[in-house]
This record gives sequence, structure tokens and C-alpha cells, in this order.
Amino acid sequence: MLDNTPKKDLNYVGKDVERIDVVEKLTGQALYTADLEFAGMLHGKVLRSPHAKARIKKIDVSKAKKLVGVHAVLTGNDLDYRVGLYLVDKYILARDTIRHFGEAVAAVAAETPAIAQQALDLIEIEYEVMTPFLDPKQVFDKKAPLVHPDLGSYSYVEAVFTPVPGTNIANHTKLRKGNVEKGFKEADYVIEREYTNPNVQHVPMETHIAVGKWDTGDRITIHTSAQSPFTVRNLFALSFKIPHCNIRVITPYLGGGFGGKAGIHLEPLCCCLSKLSGGRPVRIQATREEEFSLLPCRSGLTYNIKTGVNKNGKIVAQKMTMYWDAGAYADYAVNVTRASGFSASGPYEIENAWVDAYTVYTNKPFGTAYRGFGHVEFSWGMERHMNHVADTLGIDPLEFRKINALKPGSKTMTGEEVVKNTGSVTKCMEAVAKSINYGKLTAAELAREKKTGMKIGKSVVALQKAPAMPPFTGTVMILKLNEDGSVTGSHSLTDYGMGTYTSLAQMIADVLRWPIERIRLPIENDTDRDPYDWQTVASKGLLLSGNAAILAAKDLLDKCYDVAAQALRAQKCDLDHDAEKVFVRHHPKSHVTYKQMAVGYAYPNGNAICGPIIGVGRYIAQGLTNLDKETGQGNPALDWTFGAHGLIVEVCEKTGAFNIIKVASAYDIGQVINEGSVRGQAIGGMIQGLGTAMCEGYIYNDKGQLLNPSFTDNKIPTSLDIPEEIDCIAIETPQIDGPFGARGVGEHSMIAVCGALGNAIEKATGAVLTHMPIRQENVWKALQNRSGKKATAKAAKPAKAVKAEKPAKAVKAEKPAKVVKPAGRAKK
Amino acid sequence: MLQNFSYQAPETLKDLYALLKKSNGKATILAGGTDLLVNMHNNWISPESLIDIKKIPDLKGITFNPKTGLSIGATTVCIDLINNKDVKKHYPLLAEAAHNIGSPQLRNRATIAGNLCTASPCADMGCSLLALGASVELGSADGVRVIPLKDFFTGPKKTQIKKHEVLLRIVVPAEMAGAKFGMRKLKRIKGHDIAVASVAMARTAKVMRIGVGSAAPTPVVTADLAASTTLEKAVAAAEKVICPIDDVRAGAEYRRFMVKEFVGQIYPELF
Amino acid sequence: MKITLTVNGKKYQRDASETKNLLHFLREDLGLTGTKEGCGAGECGACTVIMNGKTVNSCLILAVEANGADIMTIEGEAKNGKLSKLQVAFKKNHAVQCGFCTPGMIMSTRALLENNPKPTVEQIKQAIEGNFCRCTGYQQIIEAVQDASGQLKKKEGLKRA
Repeated sequence: MLDNTPKKDLNYVGKDVERIDVVEKLTGQALYTADLEFAGMLHGKVLRSPHAKARIKKIDVSKAKKLVGVHAVLTGNDLDYRVGLYLVDKYILARDTIRHFGEAVAAVAAETPAIAQQALDLIEIEYEVMTPFLDPKQVFDKKAPLVHPDLGSYSYVEAVFTPVPGTNIANHTKLRKGNVEKGFKEADYVIEREYTNPNVQHVPMETHIAVGKWDTGDRITIHTSAQSPFTVRNLFALSFKIPHCNIRVITPYLGGGFGGKAGIHLEPLCCCLSKLSGGRPVRIQATREEEFSLLPCRSGLTYNIKTGVNKNGKIVAQKMTMYWDAGAYADYAVNVTRASGFSASGPYEIENAWVDAYTVYTNKPFGTAYRGFGHVEFSWGMERHMNHVADTLGIDPLEFRKINALKPGSKTMTGEEVVKNTGSVTKCMEAVAKSINYGKLTAAELAREKKTGMKIGKSVVALQKAPAMPPFTGTVMILKLNEDGSVTGSHSLTDYGMGTYTSLAQMIADVLRWPIERIRLPIENDTDRDPYDWQTVASKGLLLSGNAAILAAKDLLDKCYDVAAQALRAQKCDLDHDAEKVFVRHHPKSHVTYKQMAVGYAYPNGNAICGPIIGVGRYIAQGLTNLDKETGQGNPALDWTFGAHGLIVEVCEKTGAFNIIKVASAYDIGQVINEGSVRGQAIGGMIQGLGTAMCEGYIYNDKGQLLNPSFTDNKIPTSLDIPEEIDCIAIETPQIDGPFGARGVGEHSMIAVCGALGNAIEKATGAVLTHMPIRQENVWKALQNRSGKKATAKAAKPAKAVKAEKPAKAVKAEKPAKVVKPAGRAKK
Repeated sequence: MLQNFSYQAPETLKDLYALLKKSNGKATILAGGTDLLVNMHNNWISPESLIDIKKIPDLKGITFNPKTGLSIGATTVCIDLINNKDVKKHYPLLAEAAHNIGSPQLRNRATIAGNLCTASPCADMGCSLLALGASVELGSADGVRVIPLKDFFTGPKKTQIKKHEVLLRIVVPAEMAGAKFGMRKLKRIKGHDIAVASVAMARTAKVMRIGVGSAAPTPVVTADLAASTTLEKAVAAAEKVICPIDDVRAGAEYRRFMVKEFVGQIYPELF
Repeated sequence: MKITLTVNGKKYQRDASETKNLLHFLREDLGLTGTKEGCGAGECGACTVIMNGKTVNSCLILAVEANGADIMTIEGEAKNGKLSKLQVAFKKNHAVQCGFCTPGMIMSTRALLENNPKPTVEQIKQAIEGNFCRCTGYQQIIEAVQDASGQLKKKEGLKRA
């Protein structure tokens, strides 16, 4: 709430404002990295490993080097540099050991892509193929082969992460709240089940691309499709021990990211090839196939949830064990483990909670940040589990959620108290329940069932997420007043599609009381030109950069008032401003226009004062703490955005075919800044979530080779795959420290919708699904496994508590609670 | 930028035959290019030369003759088949099958003949043309030979076409004009996807046939069944010709189930 | 091979590499970088252009195959510095996010509207089936096409409880 302009005076905030970057995108004039040409540019290509785990016995690049048109050939032997975001574990090119299918083994730079490809074909490699480690649940098997035998020697962020040398555990996040064992003893029921998610690819429409230029004297210029230019600069500087000021990172227009472009990826390789080519720019543009295995994906998750609950529906204890399948390198996965660890319960209050979240190295393509940052994955399990528990108790699942929902006075799992202005998950659930007529089938729906022979089911799920970021995350906005009284902004939050820049421009316009057309926020970022921003991830951009924007606009005005006060011989307290000028409130004719003061105010005789005007707004997250490594307690959340989805599905009980009839989504986003952008984020993320739910996911063979690295066999939703009807609702409980009261919503729309689909299918047919994605074939199989019972969607009364169906492991507990554990569960 | 190859676009059949003979199997025919260029982009194949056949008038066009049936020239693209009046009137199954192929952009470019020559088990045109008892005409400098489509496919991505031959046209027999028909395609999404299992059925007063895709190494067809074949026997006949496998797209068991299910769904539409 | 083709109403003559696809020819030889590459395999539609009145994936056509063709790319959509009705509808309806699919999306929907000035929602969905968009979830694009064809009753909005 850094601004207290009355709502009626807001011209832009809360309105439906057209995007400021839309014209260049609609005309094809926006320049993305691939559209840039550089004199002398060479084309880089990467040779990838066909094996998941292997030793490089021999690598011979002599023939490739001799090919005419080839300027540089590199192998791991040439590059003794490790990179890593939180845990420095990755060589730029594999050295000696291959750790995943698709890993970069060698790279070339040549005058054309075709020559580069020919050079790759001339590289001779002998591999000794080894047994890969593929199942993260085998992490406690002492005989398991180690992905990183040298884990103990790697540097890492010690305040936050806990790698376990001698194992495949890259990080172990613990959370201990209350007394779970006591809670289980007191519970009427203890219900346990396991849920799984595969690796998933982000699929930005623009594949990763970078152009690197390494000049003499270690001056580096990188043009890249990165979400976070300063992260690229920082990690580059640390890996190569080059001063930050020598490295310039430029991000042109970005064709989507979704977290996949958050870290550092192709940039070091481009630059090393450039250095070897005498400083010629080297471009590497990932092919779509490379996007699936050379570049990172989303970690897989196996999630075991054990819930102790009372007959009245109150959860009293919950033990949550996460096995994150991080793949070969830690990248963001260790932090996904941390962030989802402290959030693993979903938006519910758990008095006695116990979380063990393991980031497990495996010989698979590595996981990174992906929209939702672990929450999409665990919410699949948690939201399925909430229904499972509710069904077992015989309580309506929505009612069960409301009983346990976080509300003012509740404590989150890390011990943070929820207050009124945190937002309301209950309001979100109620809004979507109303939108889908939850709990009954309408006459039209009954008629539809009759006509199609399909069964209709409905569900409501809830979600929450806080930005996953260091407690000291900060940003800056600089506003530079131009000669004509317009303003050009400078900052380093990137806009890879979300529309944040438009929202920031709206806020600046409303603080300045200017038309938005006079505010320019260039879409391209340049670390030499623009000030620091940590990263563009975590749905924190609107809040942090929004606050910085408001402060910058106020600072700009303050400077303008300074000039006007001097020029008009007035006190600042007597001044006011409008779109054109600063004036004396009681003598409006006595004024100075922004134009007059922009580059320094000049009196008629030529005397001048003050100089060019800029406004600076710096903002850093306030009051956050690292989490205690033993208990997970602390204050990690900048804000919590709550939300809910309501989903209606129809299912063919014979074939497993299903159609999503409607999805209604509601988010408590504090204050809508741009209606169209909020709706765009809400729908876009929800459909991306349905992609995860319905059709996406990596498939490997038993050797760890990826079998579906293309759009042929890794389908994503098309226009024909969206629900028949979509409803988006904004709840606005203002965030006290949010700009105009706003919170982020970029990731939230993707969270929990998978569980909504699984729950609605089960409601319609009784088919129990615990693995994503839910393909038609999976529904068919689950339908075959139904144990005699057929749930009926029409039942208004709550389902009766049932003995668990396969693979459920619920049992009605005689006191003291008895727990059936799934066979083969790893022992700790 | 693709790997090196030479490009030729002959304007007569005679020139085409001469080029094919000269290349001795090292040339690849380019028609729509929607499979070929993907394979080249992925470096799965690198032909020495491409022979573009789109300029040859003899390979163009769709004609219908009540006595000899439908002729689909080798360079006919999906959208032309979909919009063709004779096809809509006499062989609507073909229009439906062609509509099942890819996206609008692909249907504007992909040829019917190419869909057969690729010889993918999941070729959408395969099962429908098989159900209609189509044959293909192969030409070379040595002359023209006609092969029933059911004998054309010899394995995944393998056909009877010899290295100096080209597919000239597809012929659908006149007696199948106006056949009752139905088609189903199992996909993983509702948008464009290759068939995970597909069934096309056609029935006239004399005969019933069931073509099946993605359930055997090639598209397959049942023997000519009596027009009065019962549903049970139709299902059994389809089951007899398939041998589905487990792969990333689906399990064999589900493919088998869906083929039978589709036969059951289409069957009533044939009467 | 020497080729002549018309792009956005302008005639071009170039010596085209036989191994270059139309997408790269447009981008590299003619400098028309508005058309994007998303997969190179005809799956995603980012490279959609209109060739002789029909939408095609320009990644699956050799430049030499386009000899003599009449081609329209995104650069031909706005005329005299003015956005077309379709572009204005995309702008108004938030049908653009990252913008990478947008050029192809505009090409597919323009071709649709030329053949079918009042398409149904189902027809719009079918027309853009071959154009992946990872950002918008398609809904606002569909609304933009409805709007451009004068069929959007009232602008779909965010409900504010």
C-alpha cells in the first residue's frame, strides 16, 4: 500500500489497459534474440550424450577441427569450470562422466549451422555405458550408484541447503511443527497414500538461445533469452572469476520462459566458443529436441502423505515425505524442495506437521524452476489426498477443505500467523463452488449425461503460494525525465509475456497523474544500463518492482517539487501537480512544466538550477528470515496468494475418454492492477496446468533414455483442448505492503488444477488416479480397477466412509490409530 | 539450413523416370514434404538429392468416373480431397480421413500419396483407403504396375515401391462409391496428434471391410467380409488382423480394446 | 537456384540455397524476421505464413519450392503503419503475451476470416489448432477473432467479487 491515492482518482490501476508491448509483437517488429544479427557471427552446436550414465573413454575431435569453416571445438577436457545456482555441481561440458541423456559432451562453432552439424558428426567418442540411478525412492539404498561421488567437495549456499555427501541427496529440507506422533495417536483416522508426477517440459515457444562474445581482456557481451540477466551475470562472474563489471548481459524480447530460462544455461558455452574463435560472436539456438534434454525440465515428484484426522474433519497431524527427482544437477531443484517443503500442506492449517523433502540426484535431465515452483506437483498429491481423506470420513470434500483452510489466526507450517490481510482461501473456494454449481448436477447437466451416456463430476480444490526467494530479495526502478516531459524507466525485471511492465506503467502513471503514453519501460534489459534485480521468478515481480516503481515515481515528483519550489519561490507543501506541471495550489497559474525542468530549469536570463531529473525507487522484501534448518520454522513468505479452482468433467466409463466442461478459478490477488492481464495469467496458467494434468510428461526406458523428446510424443494443449467454459474471478483483500494492495498471480493459476481434474473424474466414476498425467488410457485402467463401488455424481449426500480402494491405503483405525504402510516403502 | 542435397523439379513424367533411373535409389521424392523435411531436419535421413514432383501435370488432380472409380493424383493434398465434390458425394470416408490428418497448415501441404508412401503404421489415409479396397499405381521407365493397397505396405516405413519407381495415383474402385462408412481415431489430445489407434469401416451391398491403423506394423485391413457380417464377427475379424504393441503412445492392451470398441461404435452407422 | 517470389505484395528475386527452408529464407535472405521458428518440424505453427492463399508451415517448405509463389507474412498485415482490424482486436482483447506465437496466430486467423467472415467458436479453435500458444491458454485469442468478426457481444472480463 505504498500509495494512498483514492480509488476514484486512479485512471489506470484496476482497469483494463492494453499492453505497452503489444504493437511490436503484433507486427512482427519485436526483436527476439534469434532475430539479431551480429557481424562475424558463428553458429554453435552441441553434441549430446545418447546415454544416461557413461564414462567417456576416448574423445577425438581432430577431424572436426580440420573441417573448413570450423572455428572452435570444445570438449569437457578444455573447460575446468563448474556452474551452479545454489550448489555448484555442473561442468559446462561433461568431463569424464556423463550424468544424463542429452548432456552436452562437445561443442563446435562454425560459419554455418550446416558446417557445425558436419563437424559434430566427425567427433568420435567411445563411451563405457554404466548403470544409471533412476528411481529417487531408492535414495536410501546403500548400494545405489552415486550420481555425484564428489558431492562433499562442492560449494553451496550453506545457510539454506543441506546436501548429504556420500548419498544422492542434494538437499534435505526438514520441517517440524508441533508433535506429529502425538497427533497421530490422538487421531480418529490415519490415512496414507502416495502420489507421483513425471518430469515435465516448460515448452516456451521460443527455445533457449544465446549469443556470446568474449573479447580480449575478458570483456564479455551476452545476448540471451534469459529471464534473469543479473543471475546470468553473477553466475558467469563466479564461475570464471571475472569481475562483474566486465560482463554485460542483454535480454531482448523473450518468447516465454515459465522458469525454464531463470538460471544460466547456454551462455557460458557460447562465450567459451567465442573466446576460442578470437572473440567472434557465437550463437547457440536450442532445437526443440534439445529443449527437452540438453536444457532443464521440471523435477519429478513422489509424494507420500500420511494424515491423522478427527471424525469432525479436523486434520490433527500430517507427515509429508517428498522425493524430488532432480535429475543430474541441482540447479533450482534444491530450492524447489525447500519452497515446496515449507508449503507442502497446501492452504490448510496443520497443527502437527512433519516434512522430509529430499532433492534426489538421478541420471536424468535435470530439473529447474517451473511455474509454480513445486506447488503444481505437490498440490496434485495434496488435493487428491484431501478428497481421499474427506471421502474416507464421509465429509464433503469442500466442507473438509473449509474446516482446515488457513484463516486469520491460523499458523502456517513455518509458524507464520495468518492475518486478515493475508487473503482468504475460503472466499476463493466459495466463489468457484458457486460458479460451477458445486454439489449437484443441474437439469441441463443431467440431460447432458442422458444424451451422451457419460458421467459428470465436479470438484473444488484450493491452492496457495508465496514467492520462493531469498529473504533479502531487492530491486530498483529508475525513472528518467526526458526533455519533452515524458519518462523512460530503467529496471531489470524482465517481461517474458506476463504483462508486468504494463502493470508497472499503470502504477507509475497513476502516481504521476500522467497519461500512460508518456511512460516508456523498454522491454529489453541490459545489465550495463539497468540497475539490479535479483531474478524474474516466483510471482514477486509485481509486488517488489511495483513498490519500487511507486517509490521511483514519488521520488521523481519530489525532485520536480524541489525545482518548482526554488523556481517559484514556494514551499513544497504548497505545491501540487498534474499531468503537465507542478504548480502552487492556491495560484495554479504559478507553475513549472515538467518540460521546463526536465534537463535543468533555466531562468529567462539563462541562469540554471538543479540539472536533469531522475527518480529512484529501491525496494527490498521486509521482515523475512531464513528457515531454521532443523525445524523449518521462520518467516519465508513475502505474501501468500490464495486461490481455488472448480472443475466440471464428463467421463466415458467404457473408454476413459473425458471432456472438461468448465473450469472456474478464483484468486485473492489483493488488488487487480490490469484486468486483462490478470485474466490472461489466470487462463494461461490454468491451461498449462491442464497440460500437466492431461498429456505432458517425460517417458524413459530402463536405461534412462528419454523416449519422447519432441512435440510428436510430448503433446501440449492446443486450442481444441481447452475447457468449454472458463470463468475467472478476482477476490481483492488488499496486501498491506503490496503496491496499491496487489499480490502476484503469475504462477498460481497453474497450481492444483491437476488435482481438480483427478478429483472430478473420481467423483464422476469412482476411478482412482494417483499418477499424472491422466491420459484417457489411465482413466480406462483406473476404471477397470474400481472395486465394485461406483460413485455417483448425483449423490448430494456425502459419500460414506469406505474401505480403501486400491491403491488407497486408508483404514478405519481402532484407537490407537493403526497405519497401514504401502509395501516396499523405503525405510529411513 | 539442412544438410547438402541437390534439388530437381522435372516437368514431365519422362524426365522424372530418367532422373530416378540415374539416381539409382539415392534420390528421394519430394511432394508435400511434411514428413520428409521433418526427417531431414532431425538428421534422421540425408538424401543426396530431392526430386520435386509437384510440377508434373500427370500427377495432379482428382477425377471420378462411375465405371472406373476415383483417381487421386500423387500430388493431391489433403485439403483438395476434403473439398472435392466427388469425394464428398461418393467417398465421404476419404474426406473425413483426410480431415483427421494434422493441422490446417499440414493439410494444406501434405499429400494423400505421401501419407501412404511414408508407410507409417498410423497413416490416417491408410486404414480408410484399405477399407475402400483402393489400389496404387506405380510408374517407372519400365511401365506401370497396379498393386492393391493391402499388399503395398511391407513393414514400418516400407512399401513395394522400387528405387526407380514413383507412386502415380491412388485408385478407389467404383463399386465402393456411396459405401456406408465410419471412422474413429484415438488421440492423446483433442488437437492434432497422430493416431494411437484408428479404425475405418466401409460397407456396400456386397462387402464390408475394416481398416485399422496403429495396431500392427503397417495399416491393416480385414479380408473382404460379407455385407451382412454380424458385429461379433466384425470385431473378431478386426482382432485377427491386428498385433498391437506397447510404446510411449499407448499400451497394446488398450489399443486392442479401443480397436474393438471403435468397431462397435462404427458398426451401427453402416446399416 | 534463382527464384522469384512475391512477399507481401513486393516482388523479390534471389539466388536461394536449395537446402534452405522458406522460413530461414524469409528471415535470413529477405530480413523478414517476424515469422518465428518454434520447432522446425511442422508441429507448433510459429512459422505459419500464407502461401498462395493457404496457411502453411514455412519450416516444411524449401525456399526453392516457393519459386513463383505469392506469400504473405506478418509484416504484410499492418498497412501504411496502421494495424489491421484483426490486429486491433488482438490488442484490445489481450490476445498477446510473450508474442512469439502471435505472427503465426495472426496468419492462421486472417486466413480463416478471409474464407469465413463469421466463424463459430469451434471453427476458430479448429483454425488455430496448429498454432501452439503456451502463454494465453487460447481463450483471449478466440475472443479476439470473435471480436474481429463482429461477433463478440460484450468484452469478456474478469469477474471481481
